[in-house]
Amino acid sequence: MAENITSFDYLNLFLFTILPYVALFTFFLVTIQRYRGRGFTYSSLSSQFLENKMHFWAMVPFHYGILVVLFGHLIGFLLPAQVLAWNSEPMRLYLLEITGFIGGIFTLVGLINIMVRRLSDARTKMVTSTADWVVIGILIFQICTGLYTAIFHSWGSSWFAASMSPYLWSIVKLSPEIAYVTPLPFFIKLHIIGAFAMIILFPFTRLVHALVVPNPYLWRKPQVVRWHWDRKKIRTTEFKIER
Amino acid sequence: MPKVTSKKCITGINWAASILTSVFFLLLICTSVSAQVPADYFKQNCASCHTIGGGRLTGPDLKNVSERQSRDWLVNWTLDPEGILKSGDPYAVKLQKEARGAVMTRSPGMTRVLSAALLDLIDAESKLEKSQFAGTQISDRPLLAEDIEEGRMLFMGATRLKNNGPSCIGCHTVNSMKGLGGGRLGLNLTRAYARLEGRKGLSAWLVSPPSLMMNPIFKKYPIDEEEVLPLVAFLKNETEIDEPENKTAMINFLLYGMGGAVVLLVIFDLLWNKRFRGVRQPMVKESYHS
Repeated sequence: MAENITSFDYLNLFLFTILPYVALFTFFLVTIQRYRGRGFTYSSLSSQFLENKMHFWAMVPFHYGILVVLFGHLIGFLLPAQVLAWNSEPMRLYLLEITGFIGGIFTLVGLINIMVRRLSDARTKMVTSTADWVVIGILIFQICTGLYTAIFHSWGSSWFAASMSPYLWSIVKLSPEIAYVTPLPFFIKLHIIGAFAMIILFPFTRLVHALVVPNPYLWRKPQVVRWHWDRKKIRTTEFKIER
Repeated sequence: MPKVTSKKCITGINWAASILTSVFFLLLICTSVSAQVPADYFKQNCASCHTIGGGRLTGPDLKNVSERQSRDWLVNWTLDPEGILKSGDPYAVKLQKEARGAVMTRSPGMTRVLSAALLDLIDAESKLEKSQFAGTQISDRPLLAEDIEEGRMLFMGATRLKNNGPSCIGCHTVNSMKGLGGGRLGLNLTRAYARLEGRKGLSAWLVSPPSLMMNPIFKKYPIDEEEVLPLVAFLKNETEIDEPENKTAMINFLLYGMGGAVVLLVIFDLLWNKRFRGVRQPMVKESYHS
């Protein structure tokens, strides 16, 4: 190893070679173990029936936003050459970047509403666990560093394909090449570390519901659930044993 | 309950397994660090600022460098140029003056052994009539309008780089770019031609970019020598026209994003404005009638 190695080099080695593997192994092992051992906990524990009006402006922008943002990162990782080819025309590059940015704003708007809702509505506040707050915290952190990167370190879609994609593939191929990421600006590094932290948190939190999305909801006919008895009768104070 | 205890045990085993596997991979990574071949190292890390017998670039020509300074001094210099400069060493100060204030960067992964191997390489190359590191032989012919245009296409990405490297616009901008501008991860290249002191310096930079960010990318996908001249022509033109910076690009991007988000939120509201009445209530009503 180099003689003039600094403590920063060790920090980079830890954050960009060891942490991703700790994250991935925790993710796979605990995700599988939780599914096999406690499959019924694979849920976001919907609070829609506790409060529905604010829920719309929290849940809808957040999920549409996060889907755009996540798929954007995934496409950059899987098809870097195609992304660079698409970006070869500045107008197309701008279109892609603005789309991603709108996705980021949607996610932020959704997250802020989620926080306001969970703090202001007594019933939803009651069912919000510490783990939920940790998830909200890390998501806010990720979306803020991501938006900062989109504005001040553009154009991410291009340099992600050129730098981040080969780095991530080097992790997959078990020979990490951290030279791609160590010179990146501070906020981008924070964003990458935040992503690894999210992968670690994933199997322990409500985030697991992303793996059990009820896709048929998108095309099946709407169903309605309603009480099948006379609610006034049920609420009566009179106690009667039916024979 | 015994069941719970066994689950806790499984989680414990998983944790242990994940830690052990991570340690295993760490060991794998540490042992796979291979020795650098000096010639490759020179090409990737030194050649953008130094030639051997090709004249000065940003740094001095290294031909016969061993005759100018002792081996010990040279090794120490490569290990920590900034440290030696700070100590006030007169020869280091002289070098900095000759480089018009530029300081040699700390080379990645430099060791005493590698430094000695590089000096051996420089000594051997110095004896040759023409070293392989005599510098890129970029044509001296006058730069034409077509070269500038070709360079612009390469910069923007409209013409893909021959070896599939990413185009400049992803990370860099120049002041003549309208619209939302180029990338802001790397430097604004409007004055790159001037900064690197002309055709020779800029060409050497493009052939093997020493920037820590660009080096790993362009090591794999180098810019072809035929593409260097048009890029130099384009960047020379940028320096010459020296347009004022397009300061609205970033604000415009922000406004487009925020405007788009507001419009979409309004559309969402219009689409689902009957969301509490449109589906559930008619269905409940219907189910009572049936």
